[in-house]
Amino acid sequence: MSAREEILQRVRAGLGKRDAAARRAAAEACLSDPARGPQPRMASDLVARFADKARSLASSVEQVGDMAAVPAAVARYLTAQGLPPQAVATGDVAGLDWAGAGLEVAARVAVDADRTGISGCFCAIAETGTLMLLSGPRTPASVSLLPETHIAVVPVGRLVATMEDAFALLRAERGALPRAVNFISGPSRTGDIEQTIVLGAHGPCRVHLILCGETS
Amino acid sequence: MTAAVRSQAMFFQARAARQARDSGLQKTLEKARPLFVGKRAKGLAGLADDGLDFAGLRAACEAIRRRVVDDLDVWLELFEARATAGGAEVLWARDGDEVARLVVDIAQRHGVTKAVKSKSMLSEEARLNEALAAAGIRPVETDLGEYIVQLAGEAPSHIIAPAVHKTLAEVEALFAQHHERPVQARTAADIPALAAEARAVLRQHFLSAEMGISGANFLIAESGSAALVTNEGNGRMVTTLPRVHVVVTGIEKIVPTLDDFATLMRLLPRSATGQGISNYVSLLTGTRGADEREGPEKTVFILVDNGRAALAGSDFAAMLRCIRCGACMNHCPVYFSLGGHAYGWVYPGPMGSVLTPLFTGIENALDLPHASTGCNQCGSVCPVNIPLPALMHRLREMQHERGLRPWRERLALRAWAWLAARPGLYRWATRRAARYLRWLTDESGRIRVLGLAPEWTAGRDLAPPPGRTFHELYAARKRA
Ligand code: SF4
Repeated sequence: MSAREEILQRVRAGLGKRDAAARRAAAEACLSDPARGPQPRMASDLVARFADKARSLASSVEQVGDMAAVPAAVARYLTAQGLPPQAVATGDVAGLDWAGAGLEVAARVAVDADRTGISGCFCAIAETGTLMLLSGPRTPASVSLLPETHIAVVPVGRLVATMEDAFALLRAERGALPRAVNFISGPSRTGDIEQTIVLGAHGPCRVHLILCGETS
Repeated sequence: MTAAVRSQAMFFQARAARQARDSGLQKTLEKARPLFVGKRAKGLAGLADDGLDFAGLRAACEAIRRRVVDDLDVWLELFEARATAGGAEVLWARDGDEVARLVVDIAQRHGVTKAVKSKSMLSEEARLNEALAAAGIRPVETDLGEYIVQLAGEAPSHIIAPAVHKTLAEVEALFAQHHERPVQARTAADIPALAAEARAVLRQHFLSAEMGISGANFLIAESGSAALVTNEGNGRMVTTLPRVHVVVTGIEKIVPTLDDFATLMRLLPRSATGQGISNYVSLLTGTRGADEREGPEKTVFILVDNGRAALAGSDFAAMLRCIRCGACMNHCPVYFSLGGHAYGWVYPGPMGSVLTPLFTGIENALDLPHASTGCNQCGSVCPVNIPLPALMHRLREMQHERGLRPWRERLALRAWAWLAARPGLYRWATRRAARYLRWLTDESGRIRVLGLAPEWTAGRDLAPPPGRTFHELYAARKRA
């Protein structure tokens, strides 16, 4: 007997239930109509909530009026951090006028030598100050992972309240999940040496969020 | 017992005694305990700001996990179908040896010489690192804590803080030795430098390894995905850079929907580290697309039994709900007296005291279900409401039923049962015993040496009983 059959048979024997077809139908029904658990009650200002939570996770946050203002904001940030004016970017933000702000930005997968990665996001979650990124041909996951500094552009209109709302948006706009959905909440960290928190474990040690658009 | 198990849990008493005398370890544990407890308390307190509470979330998390455990066969088939449709291959393993065989085989077929690993307790169950090394494939642990214990040639002592038993000086010595540099004097201010050193070394491994091996915190049936929760980002590295990604995980890890996953994520990080959310949460489905330039070309999920299937429908089915948050050990007085290595196998603390006998054989871990004060701290913090003390109790009963307890204990119990069935004699005997204990009490009001069982009072005094039996006291009270 295959391992699969043997394991499933052991489980079935233990459960001692018969009506496999009915149980399967019930499980499928549960999948096609996902129910939410207890939901948080939050103030309606998602921008303020998102910025607050993101800062508490050691990200820095700024807000600009529109997308056209993003390259200059990035240039200012890089200068302030003493970082070179080069970056790797995901395709969804590569089309901005980076050269106009004096930056050299390449749209490709990231390599070890990249110091700064700039990404957009699929959406962002106010409850926890979290970015939701989807991997894809134009949006490689390495851009938000390999460089020490990750700058993310977050259009205000893409803020949702909870992870459940983010999943609802994903189902509505994409249907299936891409290879990797990455939720990012601040710079990487470790507490593995004497329980002391250190920022910058394997992923970025700096995360800068540029909220983009007017708060209504 | 298969070669993959090789538990040391039989030697609990000897290991516990050694650990209890290790003053360095005791200091480290003393420092860690209030941190663990305090962080969780703070994390849970934050829920109130959003009108949420632990009890409500815990009931929801318990219900989600119950739904899966109650129909595990159905959920496994559903998950398998959707994961396969998503582009992953799904394999099954009966035990740890089979896991090791499958992983080595995949590695050899893909010409793998090095595998980077993100923390997986199941790979410890399977002793996967040994199997890979024996096949000439270099396993590199990349969670900083796991990396430290790998360099030390040890096993993790905690499921979420594998190197909690290691001091800064020990880490410095290990890094100096393995990174081939002189030892330096270090203070807490140098911890970031040590983390940066590990980052630089491990970065090269991430970039050169052909295979990534990870566990999964959950398997999501709705989307056929593995969910990976980390803070360091190593989970993302391991599943993004190498050509092949193998997920090794238990059959019980399924959650039905993405929404259920979102609910569990409100309690898992808070229970583990007090965080409202972990830094990285990744949902991994299938392989890289035709027009993608990164991500694994091959993704394999290995669904492992290794003792889990036998728990379905049993007295211990509740244990299948466990989400491996570590809260039970973080609140356990026994764990913090002894450290994780005392438990002798992969899982320490209360959840280990239940799982180790179930997975490796009740007769191979006789002491573990007794390594409890019965305080139920573990049960009260468990985010999926597993009655850990009751399960340990049931294991003790089973030891008795199978004649696995020492003859003296069995004889004593039989004598007590005989006596208890004879009320007159019972009252007479307990009266004598109460007087005897009263008589043993010295001028300080304590019993320092218990005559018939002196080992009981070797390390502590016994509080004396009132000198009269319950029956006598009750009768006196009724008269009054
Ligand atoms: S038994 Fe409960 S508290 Fe312990 S690790 Fe499992 S889920 Fe967490």
